[in-house]
Amino acid sequence: MKSQISKRELVLGLVAAFGLIVVIPGLNAFTPESSPLHVSNFSINLWGQYLCLAIVAVGLDLLWGYTGLISLGQMLFFSLGGYALGMHLMLKIGRLGQYKSDLPDFMVFLGYPKLPAHWVPFAEFWFSALAVVWVPGLVALLFGYLAFRSRIRGVYFSILTQALTYAACLLFFRNELTLGGNNGFTDFKTLLGFQLADPATQRSLYIASAIALIAAYVFCRWLTLTKFGKVQRAVRDSENRVLFSGYAAANYKLFVFVAAAIISGVAGALYVPQTGIINPSQMEPSKSLEAIVWVAVGGRGTLIGPILGALGVNSLKSWATQAMPAYWPLLLGGLFMIVVIFAPRGIVGLGNQVGALLQRRKSEKTEDPAP
Amino acid sequence: MEGVGVLFARPLLCFCGFINEMRNSSVSVILRFLAVVFLATGTSAPAMDQYEQRARALFVEAVVAPESSQSLLLENLVGSAHPCLEPFLQGWQREQIFIYQSPEGSKIPILKVEENQSVRILRVDTGEELKEASGSLAAWNPEWKAVETNSKIRRSLKNTIDLLALGSSSPSDRAAAALKLGLKQSPASLPVLESRLSQETNPSAKAAFLDAIALVSLNSENPDQRTSALQRLGESASLPARDAIKRLADDSTQPPQVSRAAREALQTIDTRIFWIDFFGTVFRGISLGSVLLIVALGLAITFGLMGVINMAHGEIMIVGGYATFVVQCVFGNGLAFAPFGLSMNIPGFGFDPSSAIYQSYFLVALPVAFLSAAATGYVLERGVIRFLYRRPLESLLATWGASLVMQQLFRLIFGPANVPVASPEWINGSLNVEGVLMNYNRLFVIVFAAAVVFGTSLLLTKTPLGLLIRAVMQDRSMAGCMGVPTTKVNTLTFSFGCGLAGLAGAFLSQIGNIGPGTGQTYIVDAFMVVVLGGVGSLTGTVLSALGIGTLDQILQTTLRNPVIGKVLVLAGLIVFLQFKPSGLFSAKSRNLEES
Repeated sequence: MKSQISKRELVLGLVAAFGLIVVIPGLNAFTPESSPLHVSNFSINLWGQYLCLAIVAVGLDLLWGYTGLISLGQMLFFSLGGYALGMHLMLKIGRLGQYKSDLPDFMVFLGYPKLPAHWVPFAEFWFSALAVVWVPGLVALLFGYLAFRSRIRGVYFSILTQALTYAACLLFFRNELTLGGNNGFTDFKTLLGFQLADPATQRSLYIASAIALIAAYVFCRWLTLTKFGKVQRAVRDSENRVLFSGYAAANYKLFVFVAAAIISGVAGALYVPQTGIINPSQMEPSKSLEAIVWVAVGGRGTLIGPILGALGVNSLKSWATQAMPAYWPLLLGGLFMIVVIFAPRGIVGLGNQVGALLQRRKSEKTEDPAP
Repeated sequence: MEGVGVLFARPLLCFCGFINEMRNSSVSVILRFLAVVFLATGTSAPAMDQYEQRARALFVEAVVAPESSQSLLLENLVGSAHPCLEPFLQGWQREQIFIYQSPEGSKIPILKVEENQSVRILRVDTGEELKEASGSLAAWNPEWKAVETNSKIRRSLKNTIDLLALGSSSPSDRAAAALKLGLKQSPASLPVLESRLSQETNPSAKAAFLDAIALVSLNSENPDQRTSALQRLGESASLPARDAIKRLADDSTQPPQVSRAAREALQTIDTRIFWIDFFGTVFRGISLGSVLLIVALGLAITFGLMGVINMAHGEIMIVGGYATFVVQCVFGNGLAFAPFGLSMNIPGFGFDPSSAIYQSYFLVALPVAFLSAAATGYVLERGVIRFLYRRPLESLLATWGASLVMQQLFRLIFGPANVPVASPEWINGSLNVEGVLMNYNRLFVIVFAAAVVFGTSLLLTKTPLGLLIRAVMQDRSMAGCMGVPTTKVNTLTFSFGCGLAGLAGAFLSQIGNIGPGTGQTYIVDAFMVVVLGGVGSLTGTVLSALGIGTLDQILQTTLRNPVIGKVLVLAGLIVFLQFKPSGLFSAKSRNLEES
């Protein structure tokens, strides 16, 4: 791992960022629909969602690829961020809902007399935006503190994170939580006064997602270059040696876990206004495992891999669920198995892997020629 | 053949109905008495004893009587009710009793029985089919008039039918009927109950009759009788009597000794209810724990002993469930299904669902489930897991991929809906121990789990294969150096663990649903059991499965909210692992990576 960012990486990164943030939305806004270069509103919305999922993948890679912790509950933090913003969006529907009431529709439906107290501050955007950060962060802090303190690691940690998201999923399905039960939140109208149905709003959300993705990338990239990043990788490779060298490995892991949770939470908050719905099925253990697939397919331990994995697998999913819905799970499961077994470093590592294989063949040939 | 007495009695009864119409009740009573005497002395009917004759005669009398006195006459059947009357009483409830005017001019009540397409006409007085004078069976005449009912008569009919159960041949039916009667607390039923009690031989039915009599006596005028009835009910801690006793305890007009006795009886009953609820919850907890245990046992082998996280464990379990379904279909009429759009047909043996062979399909299904799941496990181990023994985290991911594939295969083969698996009749029903109801299928799962655990521990500790398994578990490379064929042992162990999962699936099919996603609902719980129990310990698995099952049930009953209970169990587990990070029972090891 190089400790400096090479010029090539800098240039490539800047070009990619420019393309994502400026060129694609520009093509959507300023080219006529008939033009071959035109990016449709539908595509902008779809790719905005993919970028949000890519943000989760970057956070997850920080955990898995760089610290060796597999979290099977990453979509829980994603959903928590989504719910935090969703509450604000629900309150901003105002009297435009089905029941023409100040309360969100599901509260009218369930017979709430007035807005529950913990909902009131979410009417303010700033509060909601802060909640997007601190709610997932706090949950991750509590869980991570308990887990790392008692040195739960490896597969046990993975299973416990899965149990965590499973429990949360069960909890969010209940109406008593005042968060909409199994229907969750939907039917949003405005964000910061802008109509969500307006293509310009969706374009802005796309741009925001792209900026967030690049910010997450830059943060993680920076982190890996610092001394912190070195300790992080040392924890991944041999935690005991790190402990014996006098580092509090638990603190490092806790920091990374919380950071990844916050990154996921922000992604969730950006995702919800673009899909227009958030419900507890987003917390089902299988969703978090899907996030693992993106990272595995893209290539963990590199930051660009997960982004490519998230974008690639999700485009494949969009296509396959349309073209052959019955066979999509077979495809996803099969792809995943093959990647895990035969290409542990993902698509990004595939070149190296093939190169190494060829190298070995060649050296075998030269060393003992066929008799 | 008709008895001579009956021949005489019939016109007499008709006459008495006629007199009744004139509201001359004293004459009617005498005539009725005469009719009964005639009936009682008529002895020539071979298949009919005197009780039955008397009951039929009284019923005939009630039918032909004018409407105003019918319910009174029905009440008179109390005490002489005979089981032979049941179809006729029920027929009257449905207004299927008609009056047939015989050519001689007498009124004969008949019951119309519609069977499939044909109509049978039964005489109430003999229970035989109605015949013309020529001896051939009479044809149905739509002009015959039905005997009408009103609400009072229907009530009397219902009472009489309830009473009939007092004479039922099954002791538990008799006991239930006695309690039902007792709960009505009508003094009129006291003589019947007492006369039945004197004939009763079955101890539990006897106790029920005593309880019923005590219940009726709670309304007695005499405070001493009320007190002794309360003491009796307190001693037997009769649950159905609780409401009646509570009324007495709350009634401030009662004399002090009665209310004291009522309070004492109430307390005894409440204590009993508490214990029944408690043991019921513990029983359900243990049976839930046993389900978890069978599910988790396979996992304890593959995860605990081999360190392989098999996320497809739930799906392998469901392979066992589907195998049970297929065996059931083959025993029945076969199975038609359409995997991948192809239509396939597995022919069945076509046994009748009530036949003993069909009922025993489950015994065949158990080994089939074990073998099919073990075969699936074999393929999974050879195809996926053997590449990943050194990368446990990745075996978790790859097996998740496998579980996704398997779920979709189930969906494509068996359809997205749950498949219906019928339980054999012999595990339906329940055992009542001192008021605690134990379902046979729950008892069965407990016994089954115990047998499976016992068998597994024998296999691991007493067989050469078990020795090899344990050697490989402790140190794979060292075992390899000593000449243990580790890859073979791995495959066998994994297949065995999967076979156990298949057994769990076969059992689940008896108490729950089998569908493509069923495995997912059990997998998290099963992992919890293994993690809590301590990896690699069968004792730990048993204790933690029973513990989690019981705790889950207790929380569910006290909180009345299954989700909060589940969340609390998960939270409790995380807190527990703070103190014992490697579970209840963990193998002591100096290896840093394993600690």
